[in-house]
Amino acid sequence: MPSRPYLGFGLGLRPDHYQAILDSDPPVDWFELLSENYLVPGGKPLHFLDRICERFPVVMHGVSLSVGSTDPLDRDYLADLRTLADRARPHWISDHLCWTGIDQRNLHDLLPLPYTDEAVLHVAGRIREVQARLERPFLIENVSSYVSYQHSLMSEWDFLSAVAEEADCGILLDINNIYVSSVNHEYDPGEYLAGVPVERVWQFHLAGHSDHGDYIIDTHDHPIVDPVWNLYADAVRRFGAVSTMIERDDAIPPLEELLAELDQARRIAAEADPTGDAGKSDMAAP
Amino acid sequence: MSTSLEELQRAFQEFLLGGDATAIRARVTGTERVPADTRLGIYAHAYSARLLEVLADNFPAVHTLLGDEAFAALARAYLDAHPSEFRSIRWFGNRLPAFVGTTGPWKEHPVVAELARFEWLLRDAFDATDAVVIGEAELAALAPEAWPGLRLEFHPSLRRLDLHWSVTAFWQAVENDEDPVAPERAEHPVGWLIWRRDLTQYFRSLEVSEAWALDRAREGANFSDICEGLCEWVDAANVAGYAAGALKRWLADGLLTGLETGD
Repeated sequence: MPSRPYLGFGLGLRPDHYQAILDSDPPVDWFELLSENYLVPGGKPLHFLDRICERFPVVMHGVSLSVGSTDPLDRDYLADLRTLADRARPHWISDHLCWTGIDQRNLHDLLPLPYTDEAVLHVAGRIREVQARLERPFLIENVSSYVSYQHSLMSEWDFLSAVAEEADCGILLDINNIYVSSVNHEYDPGEYLAGVPVERVWQFHLAGHSDHGDYIIDTHDHPIVDPVWNLYADAVRRFGAVSTMIERDDAIPPLEELLAELDQARRIAAEADPTGDAGKSDMAAP
Repeated sequence: MSTSLEELQRAFQEFLLGGDATAIRARVTGTERVPADTRLGIYAHAYSARLLEVLADNFPAVHTLLGDEAFAALARAYLDAHPSEFRSIRWFGNRLPAFVGTTGPWKEHPVVAELARFEWLLRDAFDATDAVVIGEAELAALAPEAWPGLRLEFHPSLRRLDLHWSVTAFWQAVENDEDPVAPERAEHPVGWLIWRRDLTQYFRSLEVSEAWALDRAREGANFSDICEGLCEWVDAANVAGYAAGALKRWLADGLLTGLETGD
């Protein structure tokens, strides 16, 4: 992997905000676009995409790669992603460390993988092919999960790190997902952060969730909660200046509300790493 | 227990598709606070809730017509009959119009299939391929002798359908957040046209003769053939003017992307 670029503070690009973004030129450093929204023949999505890509740096984020599935990789999808990347010129492309279906079915959910050596090798081999076909940096993201498998042999963070090392890809660390899974599976989220190699983390996701008491569901329909902000501060102290963005997928508020939330991320990052030196000593690692 | 990745995924998927939970239940662990069945239930709930939500989003007028409960029943039946094979959730509802037209109890109420088809075609027009439309100048530049052999190219977003029921008015009321009037059945089906111009979808009804002419033109018939066929509705003396009038309306609507005058 090349050394990581730093894009600053971004937002997930959502259709509700297209016009406001073009009209107000908001103080957003970059946007993350959902690849599937633009894998359509034409019309409004591509119209706005072109205009936003002219004015802002972007990255692409997908949900359909199913990189953990034992079905063959969908090469048509990869070809379409590549065409979209030629149009949008993203700094990198990401998808999730999960599977979404088998036997040509798509369950449209990000289903967890067992943390085994078999799964590490399977996923890493496929990510290598994805990177070869896309010819862009590729990041893999940790998902929220609600079950664990009996035959898992390692922690989630060891699994994520092993996949990234074996595939030689980057990591999109979703801080909310770490928090959600740490509550659901009763582990210490700090241990998770400490277990992830600093130089591989290129991007952070921040989001809200739904607290059901005994467990938490990753719904992306609420503001970010304090424990996630605290974990974000810890992440900045460990990983340093990592491109950070807020994901909101449901109950989407006006753009100004997300801009205010993004300012909070800026403040927290500045307080956590006032000199901008965090993470740098680890960056010299192999 | 030794479990291959493939076995695990097949067991999990079987459970989510509404099948047996035994195989996946034996492979997951729970905690005292959140037992394994609760954990698996989160996924089962999310699977149907997500797809139900996308159908409600794609078919808001069908949802209004049926009401929450009946729409949820339809969504569950559709999900069971047609689990998604689409890479993007955008296309999941693709077979819903045909499903409600051929499956009881909905097939007893053909208005449901008509409304579903109309909503799906509107969605199709929304993100159909872009194309540049032609203007008056291109038409004015045609030599008089080019007219008989003239063939038309249409915008890729154009969709045609014939409707027995007044589902477009119903859809419009739902769209405008007004109280919709129950769709009524007309004696004869009415031809409709759906298309996108710039970034907005439009629809309008067609006279029988205009629908006929448009359908033939889209199949590649030339102006002279269309005039001949239109004689069923229009005097031979007026037919060329009538056909030219329809063509100009298509042009003004932004439906035409090219004029072809070669043989």
